Amino acid sequence: MKKRFLLLVALVLVAAMLVGCTTETDSVLDKINQAGKVVVGTSADYPPYEYIDEAGNKTGFDIDLMTEIAKRMGVELEWVDMPFDSLVAAVDSGKLDMSISCFNYDEERDKTVDFSEAYYTTEDAFVVTSAFAGTITVPEDAANYKVGVQSGTVQDGWLTDNLVTPGLLPEASLSRYERVDQAALDLANGRIDVLMGDYVPIQALVAQNPDLQVVYHGELSTGPINIVLPDGDAALKAEVDRIIKELQAEGFIDQLAVKYFSE
Amino acid sequence: MDFGQFISYIASGTVYTVGVTLIALPSGLLIGTILALLYVYGGKAAARVMNLYSTVFRGIPPLVLLFILFFAVTRGINLSAFWAGSLSLGIVSSAYQMEIVRGALLSVSGDQLMAARAIGMSRLQSIRYVVLPQAVRLAIPPWSNEAAIVIKDSSLVYALGVPEILRRAQLIGASSQRYLLAYLSAAVIYFLLVFGTTRLLAVLEKKLTIPSNP
Amino acid sequence: MPEPILTIKNLTKKYGENVIFQHLDLTVNEGDTIVIIGPSGTGKSTLLRCINLLTRPDEGQIWLDDMEITAKDCDEDQVRQHIGMVFQNFLLFNHLTALGNVKLGLSKVKKMSDEAATEKAMHELARVGLADRADHYPGQLSGGQQQRVGIARALAMDPRIMLFDEPTSALDPELIGEVLEVMRQLALDGMTMLVVTHEMGFAREVADRIVFMEKGYIVEEGSPDEMFNHPKFPRTREFLWKITELYGKKETDTN
Ligand SMILES: Nc1ncnc2c1ncn2[C@@H]1O[C@H](COP(=O)(O)OP(=O)(O)OP(=O)(O)O)[C@@H](O)[C@H]1O
Ligand SMILES: [Mg+2]
Repeated sequence: MKKRFLLLVALVLVAAMLVGCTTETDSVLDKINQAGKVVVGTSADYPPYEYIDEAGNKTGFDIDLMTEIAKRMGVELEWVDMPFDSLVAAVDSGKLDMSISCFNYDEERDKTVDFSEAYYTTEDAFVVTSAFAGTITVPEDAANYKVGVQSGTVQDGWLTDNLVTPGLLPEASLSRYERVDQAALDLANGRIDVLMGDYVPIQALVAQNPDLQVVYHGELSTGPINIVLPDGDAALKAEVDRIIKELQAEGFIDQLAVKYFSE
Repeated sequence: MDFGQFISYIASGTVYTVGVTLIALPSGLLIGTILALLYVYGGKAAARVMNLYSTVFRGIPPLVLLFILFFAVTRGINLSAFWAGSLSLGIVSSAYQMEIVRGALLSVSGDQLMAARAIGMSRLQSIRYVVLPQAVRLAIPPWSNEAAIVIKDSSLVYALGVPEILRRAQLIGASSQRYLLAYLSAAVIYFLLVFGTTRLLAVLEKKLTIPSNP
Repeated sequence: MPEPILTIKNLTKKYGENVIFQHLDLTVNEGDTIVIIGPSGTGKSTLLRCINLLTRPDEGQIWLDDMEITAKDCDEDQVRQHIGMVFQNFLLFNHLTALGNVKLGLSKVKKMSDEAATEKAMHELARVGLADRADHYPGQLSGGQQQRVGIARALAMDPRIMLFDEPTSALDPELIGEVLEVMRQLALDGMTMLVVTHEMGFAREVADRIVFMEKGYIVEEGSPDEMFNHPKFPRTREFLWKITELYGKKETDTN
C-alpha cells in the first residue's frame, strides 16, 4: 500500500472526527436522482481503461461503461478527473458520488469505501526490453532483477507481500513510480530490468514500443475490477450492481473489451 | 495529434495555474502583511501567536494542507477543488510572506520610527508613511522569490483534479505515450511564467529604487 | 525677566538596575542656547530622549512652558510636535526627497494643504541654504547637507525648543562648519536650543550657558567665560582641557 495514501487516509479520518461526521442517513442514490446527475471520478491517464483522445475528451473502457451505467440510471454524467491517489479519499469525503478507474478490490480501501460487483477480470504482466538477458518463468523469478511498479497499485502490494517481505527482493531493488509511464521510461533507459503492471495496459504499452516484450502474464494480484462506492450505501450499491449484471448478461461489457483491449 | 494541438492542450492549463496564483499570492500578501504588522508592533502576546502561526503553516507541506481542507474540513461543503487549492496555498504562502514583511519591517523600523515619532507623528502614521514605504522596497526581492514558489506550487492542485498544466501533461502523456515531450512542455510553460514574473518584479524594484550617489 | 520654556525637576532615569542619571534639575529660558558637555556614556542622549518623551523617565517632572509633559494624561504626539530633535546620524526618511522630509510632518501632523506645506517646507529649506537641493534624496546629499535637512525638518514644525544630539560628530571635519553656521544663525534668530556637542568653539561663542555632566550628575554649569576661565571644580577644568586638546589635535590631523 502506498505510504502517502495511508497518510492521507489517516488525515482524513482524524480531521473528519474533529469536524464531526455529517449524518449520512440518506443514500447518495437519492441525491443523484434529485440532482439528475452523477458525479464520477476517474484518473484519465491509464489507457485503455481511461485516457483522453486527441480532442482532449475522456475515453476508454471504463469511460464507455460508466456512460452506459449513467444512462441506465437515468441521470446525466459529470466526470471529475483526479490523480488515482486522490479518488478513494474523494469518494469517502463525498466530493464524488463514485469512482471508476480500474480499481481492484483492496482490504485497506474497503475500510473507507465500498466496492461494486466486479465488472471485469484482469491479469498482471511482467515486461522487459529486448536487452533483457535473464529469464522469468515463474513470477518469483522477478526477485533476481531490478523491478519497477506503479506505487499504491495492487501490483505494488503483490510485490511487497510476496517478494520484499519474505526477503526475496531487496527493498532497494524495487522502484515505485507514481505512474506506469515513468516506470516505462526507466525500463527503456535501463534503470530497472522488469516492469510489473496490469496486463491490459501493458499490452497497449508493448504495442507502442516494439522494443518491449511481455515475459509472463497471469492472475497474480489482480483479478476482478470494481467501481468504488461510498461506504455502507446499500441502495446505491444495489442499483449499480443491478446495472452491471444487466450489462454483463447483454454482452455489452465483452463488446467493450473487444473494442478497447483487442482481445 | 499534431504538435500544436499537443502543446495547446497542455498550455490551456495555464488559466488554472495563473488563477490559483492570482488568488493565493495576493491573499497571502494581505494576510501576511497584517500578521507581520501585528507581529512587529502588536506586543509580546501577539508576537507569540504570530510565531506559532508561522511555525505551523511553514511546517505543513502545502499538499497535506490541501488534502485536509478539501477532503476533511470541507466534508459535505461544496467548496470546489480550485478554491480549496487556492486558499490552502494562500494560507501557506501567508506564513512565508509574513516572515518576509516582518524582516523588512524590522530592518527599517528602529531609528526611522523614532525619527518619525520625533516630529509628532503617531505610531500608526509613522508605520504607514515612513516604515512601510521603505519596507516594501526591501521586501520585493524576497517576495519575487515567493511569487516563483507559489507559481510552481500551484501545480499541487492537480492532486485535487484541477486540470492545470501538470495534470494536462500527465493526461496527454499517457494517451500519446510521449511523456518526455509532455513534461518538457510543462516545464517550459512553468519556466516562462516564473521568468516573466520575476523579470516584471525586477523592473518594479528598479523603478522603486531610491536614487543615491555612490 | 526671561521666561523658562523647559523646566526639569528631580529627574531620574534607570535602565533596569543601571541608574543613568538621578535627581537632575535643569531650566532652559526662552531664547537661550544651552550646551551640554560630558564624557561618553554619561546620559546626555538619554536626557534629550526623556525631554521629547522618546523614553520615559522613572522619576521627576518635565514642564514645557506651563504644561507638565511627564503627566500621565499628556498626549505624547502633541508634545513632540513642539520639541524639535536633531540626531547625530541625521535619520532622514530615506525614501523621501529633502522637500518630502520637511513636508511630511506638515501634511500628516499639522494637516496642512499640499500647497501650504510645500511653501512652508521650501521656506525652511531656504533657511538652511538648501532650496536648490529640494528634490534630492538623502542618498544624493552630503552628510552636512543631510544634517541641514534634518534641522529644517525639525524647524518646520515651529517647535518651542530644539534639541541637538551631537549634530556634527558623524560629519567629516570639512562639513562641520556649514552645520554649525546654521545653528549659530538659529541662535541669533532667538531659537531656544539645548545642544549636546563637543564643538568647544561653538560652545564658547554661541552658548549662553554650558552644562557639564558626568556619571549622571550635573557637575557644574555656568557661562562660557566662567566655565572656561574660572571653573569651580577641578573635574571641569580637566575635562575642558582634555576635550579642547583632543579637538585641537583632530584639527591639526586634518590639516
Ligand atoms: N535603551 C537602553 N537600554 C539600556 N541601556 C541604555 C539604553 N540606552 C542607553 N543606555 C545606557 O545608558 C548610558 C547612557 O547612554 P547615553 O547614550 O545617554 O550616553 P551619552 O552621554 O549620550 O554618551 P555618548 O557621548 O557616547 O553619546 C550608557 O551606559 C548606555 O549604555
Ligand atoms: Mg549620546
